[in-house]
Amino acid sequence: MRKLFNSVWVLVFAGVLAACSDSGSGTEVRDNSEEVAAFYTANPEKFSFRTLADIPADLVWENGMEQPDIGSPDAKKGGTMFDYMPDFPRTLRTVGPDSGNAFRRFIYDNVTLGLAGEHPNTFEYYPELATEWAISPETRTVYARIHPDAKWSDGEAITVDDYFFTFYFNMSEHIVDPWYNNFYETRFTNITKYDDHTLSITMAAAKPDMASYALGLRPTPQHFYREFGDDFIDRYQWQFPPTTGPYVINDGDLVMGRSIAFTRNDGWWARDNKFLRYRFNPDRIQLSVIRDPNNQIEAFRRGDTDQIIVNTMEVWYDQLPDSSAEVANGYIHKSQFHNRRPRSSWGLWINSAQPVLEDVNVRLGIQHASNWDLVIERYFRGDYTRLNTSRDGFGEFSHPTITARQYDIDLAMEYFAWAGFERRGADGILVNAGGQRLAFTLTTPYERFRDLLPILREEALKAGLELRLEVLDFTTGIKKLDEKQHDIGFVSYGVGAEMYPRFWEYYHSSNAFDNAFLEDGSVNPARQTESNTNNLESIAIYEMDQMIEQFDASSDAEEMKALSHRLIQMHHDYASFVPGYAQDFFRVAHWRWVRYPADFNVARADGTNFDYFVYWIDEAMRQETLAARRSGQTFEPQIRVYNQYRELQ
Amino acid sequence: MIKLNPETLKKIRRFKQIRRGYYSLLFLAVLTFLFLIGELLINSRALVVKYEGEFYFPTYGAFHPGTDFGLPYNYETNYRELKQKFVDDGSNNWVLLAPVPYSAYENHSTIGIYRPEPPNAASRHFLGTDTTSRDILARLFYGTRTALLFSVAFLICVYAIGVAIGAAMGYLGGWFDLFLQRVIEIWSNIPFLYMVIIIFSVIPATFSIPTRVSILLIVMVAFSWTSMTYYMRTETYKQKTRDYVASARLIGASDFRIVFKHILPNVLATLVTFMPFTIVAAITAITALDFLGFGLPPPTPSLGELLKQGTDTLRTAPWIVTSAFVTLVVLLTLVTFVGEAIRESFDPKKFTVYK
Repeated sequence: MRKLFNSVWVLVFAGVLAACSDSGSGTEVRDNSEEVAAFYTANPEKFSFRTLADIPADLVWENGMEQPDIGSPDAKKGGTMFDYMPDFPRTLRTVGPDSGNAFRRFIYDNVTLGLAGEHPNTFEYYPELATEWAISPETRTVYARIHPDAKWSDGEAITVDDYFFTFYFNMSEHIVDPWYNNFYETRFTNITKYDDHTLSITMAAAKPDMASYALGLRPTPQHFYREFGDDFIDRYQWQFPPTTGPYVINDGDLVMGRSIAFTRNDGWWARDNKFLRYRFNPDRIQLSVIRDPNNQIEAFRRGDTDQIIVNTMEVWYDQLPDSSAEVANGYIHKSQFHNRRPRSSWGLWINSAQPVLEDVNVRLGIQHASNWDLVIERYFRGDYTRLNTSRDGFGEFSHPTITARQYDIDLAMEYFAWAGFERRGADGILVNAGGQRLAFTLTTPYERFRDLLPILREEALKAGLELRLEVLDFTTGIKKLDEKQHDIGFVSYGVGAEMYPRFWEYYHSSNAFDNAFLEDGSVNPARQTESNTNNLESIAIYEMDQMIEQFDASSDAEEMKALSHRLIQMHHDYASFVPGYAQDFFRVAHWRWVRYPADFNVARADGTNFDYFVYWIDEAMRQETLAARRSGQTFEPQIRVYNQYRELQ
Repeated sequence: MIKLNPETLKKIRRFKQIRRGYYSLLFLAVLTFLFLIGELLINSRALVVKYEGEFYFPTYGAFHPGTDFGLPYNYETNYRELKQKFVDDGSNNWVLLAPVPYSAYENHSTIGIYRPEPPNAASRHFLGTDTTSRDILARLFYGTRTALLFSVAFLICVYAIGVAIGAAMGYLGGWFDLFLQRVIEIWSNIPFLYMVIIIFSVIPATFSIPTRVSILLIVMVAFSWTSMTYYMRTETYKQKTRDYVASARLIGASDFRIVFKHILPNVLATLVTFMPFTIVAAITAITALDFLGFGLPPPTPSLGELLKQGTDTLRTAPWIVTSAFVTLVVLLTLVTFVGEAIRESFDPKKFTVYK
């Protein structure tokens, strides 16, 4: 399958290359400055120009300098970090078709700078591009001053104009990315320029975390996108734009289909920033394509790559056990780091609009017939923890007391009996008076759960419930879930490190049906299923809608916490989500020369692509280790667990 | 006793003389027999239970809840535990388990976590367990059974269609032949693997496994019958011009009768020769599809699924890939040996001298 699609990609790739060279040769030089200026003039509500005198005098300016350092002062700059990517990116653009790939983190999400960043340990703001900022909740506005020395990697100054251009760019149809169009149109109502380095951004809603959206905004280099137009997708497909981050891709370091190398921008203006100085330590990061998971491990064991995130139990315990020569001799270190961030909602999403499943007793029965504890204990070898609700890991916004329902055959059968499924058929599956079997399809778009789901199935059979497994390829599976064709889905939505959980997308009736309720709050008999939304459980509860709307409109954190608890409780009672497991840590296997701070990482790190870049490469130690391996000299093995941020379950 | 004509007897004698093929056939026959009574050999259900003076035979038929044997639960009895319980109780009750007392689906770990365990005769996991502690022998056995039965069904279908159409093309000739040849050329250019992938991505999981197997069979047959028509067509063309066909036509035999009564027996050699290779192709195809994840839905046991698991755990659990690989190699080799022997025994030229 994989091989097959890869070869398809090669063809597509060749096509894209051909398209690129075509468009590159025959296009004229453009300058869109006037168009851009005209756009600002045409949208005076969104884009304002004022003077410094217009800034309110009573603002409280902050600069976040009291926040602690990130990373370790011991970090040494230099060296090369060798890493792999499972697939070659399909584009270097950060917006538009194909841009939502894992690689984007290397060129955008994890490396570029906003006005201020959220400190990954204290969750307060620290300065990035801005020297100081002021938050005015009453006017929903955030003011900021950009550092006068701030520069793009090509040496041009970063100014407020680049922030204006971010809006022009992301609201443009040329990027073919409706999500960003919508985000920049609706989330922000105004951006104002006071001088080249002073701006303010006004939000549409006064939410407790509104500042994070404004301060997290990233500039877009206007001088680079002078030719930005309707051929954006092709023209900028493989162009690496000037960046605010520490690394650039030099000519010749982009080897199509094989490897990409990042090199430190020596003149990076932010290198002495208190919060960035101990991060981004290697001089060079070399990424090569290694597609097969087994080869990824083998390449690491050979020393071709320096470190690897280990996600499966097989690799951690069987392929790279503590007793293996490299680990026992101290060449390879194994570190397990418990982080603190919202948990992905792995579990069974029951479509409560399906016949039979609309009965809450059936759903409760399924809850008690799902033996997640066994899966966690045997399949995940006791390392994962049980998820208790669909909204775990949001601090005080998560429910403090609800725990997931336990596997209990008798209780499950009692609930099934309430729903009319009282006796077992010849095959042991419960049937109701009408002869209908208690059988549902369990759909997952993830091939990797082929072996996990049969365990749940075998256990459910004991309670008289049959789960027919359907492991689909990703696209087909997601489509089926999006169209609400499923009985039960096994999926999870990725959760960003946000302050509070989202409810509207998942539980509001407008994402389950069109016009779910009539004026008086009764169920609309003519309602139709709404496709392509995240409400996979088809939840439509009138009171819940009211609470969600209240939650979304609220700017009071305490009120939101109370509402959040009530919503989670209501969702728990509705029993349409069987909480599965949560992984509250990530694991890294790294060669001895990859050094980490004493506390290893920051609380919010999720490990993917070594997101906060706090490690450093000790090239002298690399030589020493390689020599030791040749001569048979050994070191003290290092197998560590860092659980200072672990939340007690 | 059916009387075989001396020509056939001669072929059978010749076949028996070719030792390699003959023994392969015997071995396959025994294997097929074992497959047919598989539930008695590899099964988590007991063969016989004697409980409170009564005999139970749980292998075939409805399930027995634990309560039938005085156990405190009402789901399917765990007969291994039951046996242990009877032994511990010291009662007159007893349980006779199958030689391999595991089903292909249950996760049975002897170490508390699910991970591959090496072959172990003491725990009766004779070929070890897979990544979620399922018995490999059970999965291999039932997977191979599906593959073998599937390939036989495949063979019958492909031959029925291929022979009928091929013979019609050769016998009728003319425009019919020309037209159908073009149709077959176009049809056989549709990539079969893509079609299976597309069709299987839209089949709902609510279909039972036998239904899905049948659909897979239909799709595979639909794209495989074409190659048979080429051989049949040329053979029929050749035979059509022979005198015996002309004589048959003279005495007024119908076209249908001429094709199936007169021509077909004379082209039997060709048909028989291709049989083993068709079977090999079917086994390979269904294994490949499973390997790619487009065969039978999990947790159905299959050779392809085992091979895939095996290649993923090549270093940590070599026994998985070994058993699947050896089975596949042995099976395909046996079928090929039989095929060679059949071809040779149907060959009229026992001794060929090249000049």
